[in-house]
Amino acid sequence: MRVVRTSIPALCLALAISNEAVAQIPTDIVDRSRTDLQKQASSAEMKREGGTQPQDWVYALPDGVTTHQATFYVDGGFPLYGKLFFPRGFNPREGRWPAVIVGHGINAISIGIEKYAARFADRGLVAMAIDYRSYGFSGSEVSLLEADTTTDERAVWEREARVQLKRTDLNNFHEVEDYRAAISFLQNEPGVDPDRVGIWGSSNGGSVVIMVAEQDARVKAVVSQVAGVGSRPAAGPVAIPAVALADSIQRARTGKGAEADGGFSFRTKIDLWSNQVNREFRPGSMIDRIPETTKILSIIAEHDELIPAAGAPDAARAFKGTWQVVVVPFMTHFQMYSGTAFEVGSSLAADWFLKYLK
Amino acid sequence: MRIMIALAVVGCAASAAAQDVTPRDVRFFSEGVECYGRLYLPKGFTSDAKAAAVVLAPGWMQTEASIDKYAARFAARGLVAMAIDYRGWGRSGGYVYLAEPIRVDDRQRFSQHTAKVKIRRRRLVPNDQVIDIRNAVAYLQGEPGVDPARVGIWGTDVGGGHVVVAAATDARIKVGVAQVPVIEGRDVTKQAALRSPQLHAAEIRLARSTAAQPAGTPPGTDAETRLAVADYHPFWFADQVAETTAILFIVAEHDTHVDNDANAIAASKMMRGPTGVTVVDGATHGLTTAKAFETAADAAAAWFLKYL
Repeated sequence: MRVVRTSIPALCLALAISNEAVAQIPTDIVDRSRTDLQKQASSAEMKREGGTQPQDWVYALPDGVTTHQATFYVDGGFPLYGKLFFPRGFNPREGRWPAVIVGHGINAISIGIEKYAARFADRGLVAMAIDYRSYGFSGSEVSLLEADTTTDERAVWEREARVQLKRTDLNNFHEVEDYRAAISFLQNEPGVDPDRVGIWGSSNGGSVVIMVAEQDARVKAVVSQVAGVGSRPAAGPVAIPAVALADSIQRARTGKGAEADGGFSFRTKIDLWSNQVNREFRPGSMIDRIPETTKILSIIAEHDELIPAAGAPDAARAFKGTWQVVVVPFMTHFQMYSGTAFEVGSSLAADWFLKYLK
Repeated sequence: MRIMIALAVVGCAASAAAQDVTPRDVRFFSEGVECYGRLYLPKGFTSDAKAAAVVLAPGWMQTEASIDKYAARFAARGLVAMAIDYRGWGRSGGYVYLAEPIRVDDRQRFSQHTAKVKIRRRRLVPNDQVIDIRNAVAYLQGEPGVDPARVGIWGTDVGGGHVVVAAATDARIKVGVAQVPVIEGRDVTKQAALRSPQLHAAEIRLARSTAAQPAGTPPGTDAETRLAVADYHPFWFADQVAETTAILFIVAEHDTHVDNDANAIAASKMMRGPTGVTVVDGATHGLTTAKAFETAADAAAAWFLKYL
């Protein structure tokens, strides 16, 4: 992002502003909604201190928008769930539509963010809300409860076995792969233009979409909502706290380890080690890997209690291409998913996708 | 990364007994997969020792048997040494998939079932191999008699590239030896780029259906492997290795599989901490002669003894 500073000569300033203005979307909806956002912020009913609430997930399917459920695969055949939303007038025989993948945050699930996909479809985009592996309607992590007697003689073995299934196995590196598999799936969906694919992620998912953009040039537009990003260089391995170290040893020796609260909207557990995995996940250190053909929008909640406010602007400055940052005033992290904040956030995201997936 | 045909590296387990070290079959867990390790304890080792230890990682499409003799040699030099099979290879368990879906609510984190499963073997996923090495390190850290602060890693061929990645990402790893390493990535732009049309088509097929997976052996040239390899650039991690971490690179003078200048030597120049390049005179990539093995194994052992 080009940062406009008053100290540079006037001509350059004017040019920078005009380039920047062309690259950006108008944000007057934020100004128009200021009073309502303030109302939402001060409403006792709209407080969202520990997560979203079931009423925040409810939406009415817009007129003419249709849906269907899909299975797609990652990591050698692991089944993932996606729910597709098709816009009014969608007809795979008569055109090609831009498409967007919609991904959730930590220990959330797709049903909590379907309303974003529905909104994007209402605005003319194909949208697919996904569950990451071991979440929601996606498959579980599978491990054998008996000795694995298969050998290298064959590449594939089929049998009946005692297995353990594991849910909510939080892993941002896996989520990156999940998004990429979803992109592959959507690119081949009849009626979707494979050259016009975007990704939307919120909270932890908003960090993941930045890493996806760093790895996958197919992504043309990104919306990262209430996400930690940062632009600090990765100076080496991250420290492993003593408790995580002890856990990793136990896990390597017994196959079992400690758990931690993984929850916000859904109060489920995660492996303690997942926190370490995600500490190693540093998209902010690789901003220079994003091609300039990828256009990024960060939507920040002004009073986000979980995410440092400087992160997204820092990352945007580190990026040579187009990265707009919009602050939604008064909002806390989880308030972004409901009321006026949802209207503003989803509207800005749709504007971004429509501009850059034209 | 260059995909290599299986190299004729012959294991030499017989040397273990002669060197008065005791091998033991062990099982460690890596992301739910029970993996195999062959653990060598040095002479005089006791569970109340504070010994230094090394994880040994095989090359591309190789198993523990191909590097067993190095583990035996390290143990003969006084190190605890564990040579591993990556998941899906050798005596390690495979990748397990449900053949028919079972629906479980997220609130039930763990559940047990009798189910039809598909177990896939001989998959080549470099990132998973790095995680297997890291979990083997954790296993050794918990071995009674091993000093958890003194665990190093050794890898050959593609495993040598894994040494760089693991050292750059895992704060526990203070010493490494990368032997005839494949450290691809120096000449690849870090900016994300579109795949070739063929690989892109394969990527779509794999996301759409499990029928696109390779069913036969040997793998190594299948689309799934080529996709995983296309995303793996160990050289990009070289500048992330901490300055307190000591990495030795061992190369074969006449290596025709790997360009030493573009791999080991270039990576060594990126190191901030103690490093060096040992050239094994007259040797080829497999270090197949007794003399080449002696030189390479002794150089590695000396490095571990010095920095652990």
